[in-house]
Order: sequence, then C-alpha cells, then structure tokens
Amino acid sequence: MSAPVAIGTRTKRLDAPQKLNGQERFTADLKLPGLLHARVVGSAYAHAMVKGVIKDAALAIPGVVAVLTAADLPIAPKADGTPGENPLVEDEAVFSGQPIALVLATSDAAAEDGVGAVEVDYDPLPALMRMSEAMAEGAPMVRLKTSEVSDEEASMHNADAAQDSGEERETLPPNVSNSIHFSRGDVAAGFAASDAVVELSFTSQEVHQGYLETQVAMATVEPLGDLRVYTSTQAAFYCRTRVAETVGVPLHRVDVVPMPVGGGFGGKFVLIEPLVAAAAVAVGRPVLLQFNRMEDFLAANPAPGCEITLKVGATKDGTITALESRMTFESGALGGSPLQIAAILMGGYYRFPNLEIRGYEVLTNRSKMGAYRAPGAQQGTLAIESVIDELARELGMDPMAFRLQNCVVEGDARPNGNAWPRIGLRQTLEALEAHPAWQGREEARAKGRGVGIAVGGWPGGVEPATAVCRLDADGKMTVVLGSVDLNGTNTTFSQIAAETFGLGAEDITVKTASTDSAPYAGGTGGSKVTYTVGPAVQKAAEDARQQILSIAAEHLEAAAEDLEIIDGAIRVKGVPGVSVSLREIASMSMTVGSRFEPVYGKGSSAITESAPGFAVHLAEVEVDELTGETKVVRYVAAQDVGYAINPASVEGQIHGGVAQGIGWALYEGMHYDDSGQLLTATLMDYALPKAEYVPPIETILVHVPSEHGPYGAKGVGEPPSIPGAAAVANAIRDLTGLRMTDIPIRPERLAAALDAAETARTASAAD
Amino acid sequence: MNPSPFTYHRAGSVGEAIDLLREHEDAGVKLIAGGHSLLPVMKLRLAEPAHLIDIGGIAGLAGISAGTDGLTIGALTTHRALETDPAVARHAPLLAEMAAKVGDRQVRARGTIGGTVAHADPTADYPAGLLALGAEMVVQGPDGERTIPVAEFFVGFLTTALSPDEVVTAVRVPALPSLTGTSYQKLANQASGYAVVGVAAVVTLDAAGACADIRIGVTGAGDHATRAAAAEDALRGQSLTDEVIKAATDRADEGIDLLDDIHASADYRRRMVRGLARRAVLAAVERAGAK
Repeated sequence: MSAPVAIGTRTKRLDAPQKLNGQERFTADLKLPGLLHARVVGSAYAHAMVKGVIKDAALAIPGVVAVLTAADLPIAPKADGTPGENPLVEDEAVFSGQPIALVLATSDAAAEDGVGAVEVDYDPLPALMRMSEAMAEGAPMVRLKTSEVSDEEASMHNADAAQDSGEERETLPPNVSNSIHFSRGDVAAGFAASDAVVELSFTSQEVHQGYLETQVAMATVEPLGDLRVYTSTQAAFYCRTRVAETVGVPLHRVDVVPMPVGGGFGGKFVLIEPLVAAAAVAVGRPVLLQFNRMEDFLAANPAPGCEITLKVGATKDGTITALESRMTFESGALGGSPLQIAAILMGGYYRFPNLEIRGYEVLTNRSKMGAYRAPGAQQGTLAIESVIDELARELGMDPMAFRLQNCVVEGDARPNGNAWPRIGLRQTLEALEAHPAWQGREEARAKGRGVGIAVGGWPGGVEPATAVCRLDADGKMTVVLGSVDLNGTNTTFSQIAAETFGLGAEDITVKTASTDSAPYAGGTGGSKVTYTVGPAVQKAAEDARQQILSIAAEHLEAAAEDLEIIDGAIRVKGVPGVSVSLREIASMSMTVGSRFEPVYGKGSSAITESAPGFAVHLAEVEVDELTGETKVVRYVAAQDVGYAINPASVEGQIHGGVAQGIGWALYEGMHYDDSGQLLTATLMDYALPKAEYVPPIETILVHVPSEHGPYGAKGVGEPPSIPGAAAVANAIRDLTGLRMTDIPIRPERLAAALDAAETARTASAAD
Repeated sequence: MNPSPFTYHRAGSVGEAIDLLREHEDAGVKLIAGGHSLLPVMKLRLAEPAHLIDIGGIAGLAGISAGTDGLTIGALTTHRALETDPAVARHAPLLAEMAAKVGDRQVRARGTIGGTVAHADPTADYPAGLLALGAEMVVQGPDGERTIPVAEFFVGFLTTALSPDEVVTAVRVPALPSLTGTSYQKLANQASGYAVVGVAAVVTLDAAGACADIRIGVTGAGDHATRAAAAEDALRGQSLTDEVIKAATDRADEGIDLLDDIHASADYRRRMVRGLARRAVLAAVERAGAK
C-alpha cells in the first residue's frame, strides 16, 4: 500500500461543528406531538415495604395526566413463564430513590409538582449500608425477595468476564451475591521465601460516571403499534433486546434510535429505557424521562465501592514471590459488580509465581452498581500499584526498575490462567522511564514536589460487528454501522474508509443507524469499537472499492489491477487523461436502465482475541501541609495504543481518562448516612475534577501493533483512566512519606495523617 | 429541577419592594437580585416562596463610590465589579481578594454583595471580610433608612438582623488607617467552591511595628460568621512575633460552635480556623509593613 493519507493524521471530529455551536440535538431536545414528561417518585427509604401509593392529589394537579405504579405497567412474563422484572417497585424498595411511581404530565414542571403530591405508604425495614454488617453472621437480608443476579453487562466490557472462574462454591456469608477464587502455586511457601513483605488495606467509595447529560430516554408507540425508543444509550442492540423483553413484543417491532451521547463512560448501556417504553405503551402517548442530577445520583448505576487487603512478597534481588488478597466489592441491592476483572488485573500486571485471591460481591441497600470506564480496574490497580511501590521502597529499589523486572510480557499468565497475548507494558514503562519528568524527578523533589508512577491495564473487549459502505449519487461514500460514537470513533472510521479509497476523511460520511436498519455491532464499551468495528469498516470499504474498480474496468476497458483511485476519480495507472469519476460510476450504477449494480460494500469481523492496552502514568504533586490539599502540578501519560489512527482523538481519550483518574484519586466519592440516605446527591456536595484541578497533560504514544486491529490499533478508551489514583497516591507517598490507602484522598484525610505523623515525630523527638 | 410555582414581581424602586414584601409576607416572599444563592435552593424545593420580588432593575442600587471615610457599595454591585474595581483595589483590597474567590467568573458576573449578605450563608466569603473591616449595612424599611453594624448583622444560620420588610441597599466599608494590611485565607469546598473555612484579618501596626489594632473574621466554621475575639485580644498591643501570632491564633476558634458535616469534621474545622487565622495574620502583617 502507498503512504497513508488519511490514517495516522490528526483529524477534526466530524461532529465537532454541531457540538461546538450548541446545535447538536440530544434526546431531550426532541419534540413529539402529545409528548408527556415523566418524573420519578423515588423511595424515601433505603429499605421498606411499599404498602400503597395514593395518586389522587397528584392527578388533581393541572397538567398531570397519569401516575403509574408497577401494577400499571405492561410487563411481560419471562420465557420460562415467571413474572418479568418490573422497573418500578412492586412491593419492596431496596434503596433510597428507587423508582416507585412515574408521574406523567404535559410539562416537566407539572410532573415535578405531581411527584410532590403523590403519597407513598411505607413500612420501613432495616437498611444495611456497610459490607461488614451485611456479611455478619445472622445479618438481616438486604432484600427479602431475591432474584437472579445478571452479569450480562460485565461481559460486554472485557473478554475475561465472559468466562466463569470454574471454582467450587464455598459456603457464603449472608448477602454475598457472588464470589471468586483464583489460586496458583503455594503462597505460604512464596512468602516464606521472600525477604520483604508489604501488606496494606485499601478502600474506595462509590464513584459516579459524572456524565454531563443525565440518563434520558423517550419512547413512542407508532401508529401500527411498533415501539420507537430514542435514547442516549451506548448499546442500541442490547437496549432493544431489553425493551422488547420487558414489554413482551418481538424484537423487530422495537426500533432503538441511538442519539448523541452527552457522556456515557459505561453508565449508559440500559437503565431507564424499559421503564420509559412500558410507560409509553401504558398510556399510548410518547413519554420522555430525563433524570435530574439528583435522581441520577440516587437511582442510576455508579461504580461500586470496595475493600481490598493485599499482601505481596519479594526477595532481595527484586523477584516477586507471592500475592495474597481478600477483596469485597459492593454490588448494591440488585447485585452485580466488576470484582472478577478487578482481581484479574490486580494479579495480572506482574509475574506472581504463587497467588491466592478470594473475593466477594456483597449486597447493600444502595442503587444498582454499574460500569464506569475500566470497571474494577481503578480499585484493583490502586491496591497493586501502591503495594508494589511500597515493596520497592522496602527493598531499596527504584520503583521503575522493580516494575520493569517483574512486569508481564506475552505468554505470562493472568490469575485466571489465561496467557497475555502480545502486550506493550514493558515498552510503555521504558517510554515513561526515558521521559524528562522521570529523569528529572530529583529536581521536582527539590522544589517540594512528590513524583509517583503507576501502571494500568485493560484486557480489551471483543464482539462481532458488520459495517456497510455505499457509493452515493454525488460520488461520495457513506459508511453505515450500528456502533454508537461516544468519543470520535465515527471520525476514525471515516479515516479508515478514506484511506481505502485514497480520499480525505471529509469525503466519507459515517452514520450510526437505528436498530431497524443498522448492521450489528456490540455496545460501545470495553475499548472495543475501533478494534472490532474498524476491521468491518475496512473490509466494507475494500469491498466497495473492488466493486467500483470492476465497474471502472469494464467502462474504461482496462484491467481492474491497472486502476487506481485518486482524488475521487478512477484512473488507468500511467495513462494520463483516461479516467472516470466516482460520480460517473454512481450515475452508471444508480439510474434507470443502468447496466452496473449499485456499489454496496459489506464487511464483518468476528475477532475472538482481544488486544490488551497498558498505560503508565506519572503524577507530580504538591501538598498543603495545613489543609491537606493535594495539587497535581504535572502529569505524564504513556500508553500503548497499537497504532493511532487519529492521534488527536487518542490524545483526547487520554486527557479525559487522566482527569477522571485524578477524580478517583482526590475528589470523587458518594457518601451515605447509616440509614441509607445519600448525602452527596448534588454537584454542590459531590466533587468532580474541575478544569482547575487538572494540570496540562503530556502524552506519550507507544506503538506495539495489535494482531487484529485496523492498522494495528488497540482500544484506547479504558487504560488512561486506570492508573491515576495509584500514581497520585504514590506521589503523595514520595513527598510526605505517608501511604494513603483510602480514596478519594480528600484534604481532611491527608491533613489528619500529616497531623498524626507530626505528633508522632514530636513525641519521638521528646523521648 | 423546577421550583414550586411562584408569582414574579418586578420592583421599580426600593419603596415598591418594601410594599410588596409587606403585602406578601404571610404567603411567603423572597427578594431576588443575582439569584445565585436563591435559585438553587428553590430548584431543590428547599425554599418555596409563593412570591418573588425582583429588585435587580432598581436604579441606583449598583455601583461603588469612594469617599474620605471609605467606600459605599450598592447592594446590587456584582462580585465581578468588586474584583476589578480600581477604587476597591485602592481602599479595600480585601474585598477584591474575597470577590475573586467567590464561585467562578459566570457566578461572579451575576451574584451581588447585597444578596450574599442578606442570604447569610454560613459558608459565604464576604461575611468574614466585612467583619474584619468593620463594615456596616445600610438597610431601608417602611420607616426609612437605618444602619446595622456588621457585628450585629449575622445572627444565625441563614439569619440576619434584617426585619422581614427591610431591604439591604448598600454596604459601607470604612477607610483603613495607614500601616494597615489585610488578607483573606480560604479553604474551598471542592464541590461547591464555598468556604469550608475562611478567615479574614485586618491588622494595623503602630510606628514600632507592634499590633495597634486587629480584627479577624471567620466564616464557614459555625452557623454564622463571627469575630475571633480571643485571638484579637491576645494580639492587640503585642509585638507580633511568630510565637505570639501562633499562640493567639490557636484561640481563633474560641466561642465558635463548630459545624460537623460531610464536608468537614468539627475537629478539622478547628484546625483550619487556627491555621488559616495564622496565615491571614502573617500575610496581613507583612502587607501592613510593606506600606
């Protein structure tokens, strides 16, 4: 192939103009005749039996059309005949804010007035908010009625979650919804052989995805009874299945229209769509529900909190001998958590000859737990990257050298026994090692700063996908696919197609179609869209190219292999002046009586081997010794991206991931009181990483090509959000000598630790 | 997020606003200027006034005038105006320093000093500085105008000495004596940007460099802003060594019933009041000496 023209160049996003001008139309901007606005009546208690819902006062409010409860929704039974899952509380509310009723009104304000007028009669039950309480012997149940826990969504994010750990089930404590156990070698012997052992316990709180656009969906019943759902989903086909199952209609009678997503980060696969669709069917009118910020904090699906105890040993020469860990992950009241992948990553970055990990998913009276960009990875990585850092100090080794000595390479085993395929962890460590920020760390320390590094990895996801590529009447190409563009992937696909045709990216339109007409693609999550849909686009474009060349060959009376496409025209190589334009090809294949078939290329991919991506980050921090405030003043992010089809887009992904990592480290955490009331339900109380908290970010792109991705590209979305918490914690350790193990490292936490250390210092000086 | 239904009134004059306040007092009524404190609580339905009186269009209520005895700041003067006004920078730089730490620039472009003081949020910035500056509030009621010294103005959580039918029309800040330095030290809430604790100090030195006078205002620590009287007493007349300042500011929390909430424990607030008071006094002393 000739030198690339479209790929590898910094390309402006195709959807930038409407986003920058405020002209993008999101779901809540759509207006349908007869639209009803919905607002949720959420449970006032974290755990209660709902004895009754009194609607009269709400229905008397002008504009209020209906108040729907679980009994009013048309919920289909499951395939096995058991009752279907009702998106409204039937009788037992299991977290504060859980939707009990839906008020439908002609305006959002009237619906909100209606919510205030609905009376719910409760019989409160004890709420269990702490995992230790919920797991204690004789603990009451988080929910009296149990149902099966679904881990269906987890498997969409990473290839490893799709496999069962295959372990025998131990007798589990109360309220434990799932457990894992990974074992290798003999950990007791491993620790016995070690010269240094570090054991630390870590906690993290629930973290909300913090998307700008809250959960939103609009559903309408078409005249012949078909359902159309407009939604900010990341996963249109999965959403369609869930909606169809909920209301009991065949798949082909549900069309899910994936709308522009104002931030998803894993939190927008499916949440409110079945509820909104069922409401629209119940009243026979279009229904729009957009959570307000408080509802989104209360009743969406944040990342779970967890507790991890981790012990790692090594010999004097820097060889790791053993890892042992106990992990507990919140799984909310409804079950499900990314425990398994957290364990696989925690025990997967380095070679551990002996390893023992036990983990438990624990129900508590909190909202559903969901995926947040690299679900599970941040928590597991904080633990392993803190312990590794501390162990290097114990051994008197440089933390970079210690990591390089033990990091995994292709063929090394993960905790589940699966070998890593080709990965670039070592190369990424080396790239950061060579960077001036690492080389000049003593200068930073001299300025009163701490420097920390951390690794983060993500297994990547796989799922089959198809794309089509057609020639339009104007001689331009349109790619149609089913994957939702969260972060610029459609622009990347335009580059891939353009490269095939020798055109500019701006000559290619990429459309994400609704499920009625889109070729299949999985949800946008798990860093898999470019990796798996990209090859489908590439093949579809190549197929279309061959069709074009074949038409041109016949028309120009030349052999197809002697033709080339340049600047929108097909030419005979070396024969100037003999050419036919794409527009003419279009005309010759799409008018009455044409002798050529319309150009319609198809491409599919079914890659089964994922391409894991690794990032290594460096954070430089300053700490205010009085207030405990940590300021990140410099940040370097190195990442193996395989190949950057659009470097601007890849760097943008890294920038966003770094900001979110800093959020995990220092700012974000949901906080409940003992009765289960959320105390951080507004952005006045829940701190997001603001622009002023994030320093300029230096990026280093490392290119270890993947085997199956387009041009060697790997998924880049997840890895940059992973190492942040550990890198910042390690930098704080470097500066202050304090090992902070609970995130977020809020000022008060650090100030208390600084104060305690100062008191201890004064006391020992006095001895 | 929609507020409860309310009736909107637009007052053309302070007198008209007072009449409307009296007329709707029983039904529930609030004044609105910049709206940056009131609208969020209305949208959360924590406040549900049946009537809203917009005083934002009343002529003559905005603006800063400098006289020999100090500054008169109209109630509708925005934070952004205080942050950038040359007269404020010259006569009361503490106000500019505080204004620059209120919210973000969009908030500062709309929010007003009159609204801030009348709302009396315990974590607002200005109250600390106004206490340290010895300001007074000019208020108008049915019986005409009166002034309320700032030390008597903030009386409790979201509560002031204003009568229900009075309107804050201006804030007066006295001219500072020579050899005076000021400083505002703030620990901001990471989510809201409000003060977890904020401490303002105004220090006047005598010719020998000792403390001739000092006022320290504290916000965020208790349910309303207060003076740190014990610390002030321990510094007034003293030679300002680091040890003296440390010992005195370690008493800055005396008399404050410290808040304890998800944003900060009472113990952390205590340490911040003391530490930030120390920083504020040190900075104010340095600025006083530099003049």
